[in-house]
Amino acid sequence: MNLGISMFFERYKKIIVAFILIVLLFALGGIIVPNFLTVEQVLFTLKLASFTALFALCQMIVIAAGGSGLDLSVGYAATLTAVLTASVMDGQNANLGAAILIALALGSAIGLANGALVSFLELPPLVVTMAMANILQGIVNAYTAGRNITGRPSPILATLAAKSTGKFPNILFILFTITVLVMIVLNKTKWGTILFGVGSNETTAYLSGINVKAVRCVVFVISGILASLTGLLLIGNMGIAFKDMASNYVMPSIAAVVVGGVSLTGGDGNYIGVILGAIFLQALTNLLIAFGLGDAGKWLAFGIVLYVLLSFYASDRRSR
Amino acid sequence: MNKNNQNSSRPALSNYVFRPEFSSLLILIVMFTITAILQENFFTLKSIVRNINAFAPLILLAMGAAVVIISGGIDLSAGSALSLFTCVLTTVMKKSDPITGVYAILVTLAVAILVGVVNGFGIGYLRIPPVIVTFATSYIWLGIGLFLRPTPGGESVEWFRIFYNPGMIEGIHPYIKQFGRVIPPALILILAACLIWFIVSKTRIGRHIYAVGSNSESAYASGINTAKVQMQACIINSIFIFLAALFFVGQNQSGDARMGDPLTLRAIASAIVGGVAISGGKGSVYFALVGALILNFVNKIIFFADISTAYQTLVSGLIVIIAIAAPVAYTLYSKE
Repeated sequence: MNLGISMFFERYKKIIVAFILIVLLFALGGIIVPNFLTVEQVLFTLKLASFTALFALCQMIVIAAGGSGLDLSVGYAATLTAVLTASVMDGQNANLGAAILIALALGSAIGLANGALVSFLELPPLVVTMAMANILQGIVNAYTAGRNITGRPSPILATLAAKSTGKFPNILFILFTITVLVMIVLNKTKWGTILFGVGSNETTAYLSGINVKAVRCVVFVISGILASLTGLLLIGNMGIAFKDMASNYVMPSIAAVVVGGVSLTGGDGNYIGVILGAIFLQALTNLLIAFGLGDAGKWLAFGIVLYVLLSFYASDRRSR
Repeated sequence: MNKNNQNSSRPALSNYVFRPEFSSLLILIVMFTITAILQENFFTLKSIVRNINAFAPLILLAMGAAVVIISGGIDLSAGSALSLFTCVLTTVMKKSDPITGVYAILVTLAVAILVGVVNGFGIGYLRIPPVIVTFATSYIWLGIGLFLRPTPGGESVEWFRIFYNPGMIEGIHPYIKQFGRVIPPALILILAACLIWFIVSKTRIGRHIYAVGSNSESAYASGINTAKVQMQACIINSIFIFLAALFFVGQNQSGDARMGDPLTLRAIASAIVGGVAISGGKGSVYFALVGALILNFVNKIIFFADISTAYQTLVSGLIVIIAIAAPVAYTLYSKE
């Protein structure tokens, strides 16, 4: 029994750390900042965190497949989708289907380009996806140059992303559904076994007949599709699309994965931890804003959190 | 020549032709010719000086990026570090007091070395993957930069224009004015960077940077302190970025916490276009300069071809992908 408990702690050590960090942060905020711990405020924090968590899901899946994968293009994939679908939807529910189709096509095209370059040409993922982000940003800039972005999200989308049922933001239902799906797929199906197998040891995976390159390509396609769909939710939440609407989510999405205790070397991934990471980062942002340290404090704190956690977790695999 | 050929069945000529340095030189000549045709007065002194000024920052950053990539790392924080340095310079300086310029240079040089140490510590000693370390630190530099300069601005001493155009300083000696008209300070900054690398490459540090980049395990086994070497590479890079910051503040007389962001990827791209292998250990820092020139000429051609500047980020992204994909695609093709 004792052994069982210690194994539980060993396995979920990093998630427990993330959870303790969140509790400490909320406690600190509750003591110092008035109204920090009201139900409305906490739910609002969760709502903002859920967008980061959705982008972090893209990162987690890419990271889990190993090969030092990361996807820096998620921000502009989402922005491009939002900017292009805004005028297509034009505030009509009837056009939502077309918007979703555009998002799926765009996301899979972007993901396929990333995945092919990374897995089949064996190029470094960060450089490829950073270049892809530049290309997408260029398309957004060219599309928006000299014209206003018109169009509004369809009412259904706005209800899902921005509105609440009672006090409870609807986006949390979406996040909950996705979480359950992700947990089932990763832990109960062979897809999860294949993904983690490729990530933890590609030679073994290859020898047991898994097409490693195809898997590493597919994760980028999934990431691209998820990013594009999240772009739809973003425009649903904000009501309008604009040039840099999602670029600020890229850094937090990676930081959330690290805070959530997912190893950047691949082979594991627990989405609950990643969501906790996203909540931690959002609570930290709120606290810094309450102190009057807006953007500067946020980026500085995120950078330091990432650097410090990485240096702790890196010691796990330092050998010499 | 014979030595080069011993292990290769390919004829001698193609051994030269398929060296990355050769193809980048060839591309440079083509770009140079196109630009010279498109731009009137391309060969006048005024336009040459203007071009050197426009190209200098990317050249300096590209050389720094090359040093880090050769050592087996990569620096995604170069642009944010550049922005941070401009913020520090303009915060320390007071326009009314010329001596503050000297303090600003010393303080920023210290900050630059610190930036190199923090990056190098993460890469070398903590052994976190270089892309992730510098991705994290880029936000630390951005955060500090935003604390110092929430909005672009700040002040600079008048004589700082000596890093851009001495002719603009009031009451300066006419000889210096004349000298600055012929030899722009930007060129001197580039030559300084070349000189620094020339000296470093002749020492043990330079050889170790190549050794660590090509195979860090065997470098370690042969007694090289790999972590220290990687940190030294980061510091050299940081000093080159510092030189670029001097130029920017000389030109704009202000600091901006976000101005450097687009330069990060362009610097890496320049190094790769200049023939530096992304896997480390191979390539030349001087040829990163060629890569930077190519990217700058591409921008000029985009400008003259009347393509909207909105496409510039798109094109530089495409160039990076083509530049890193082309050698791999060539190897795959020649295997078949």
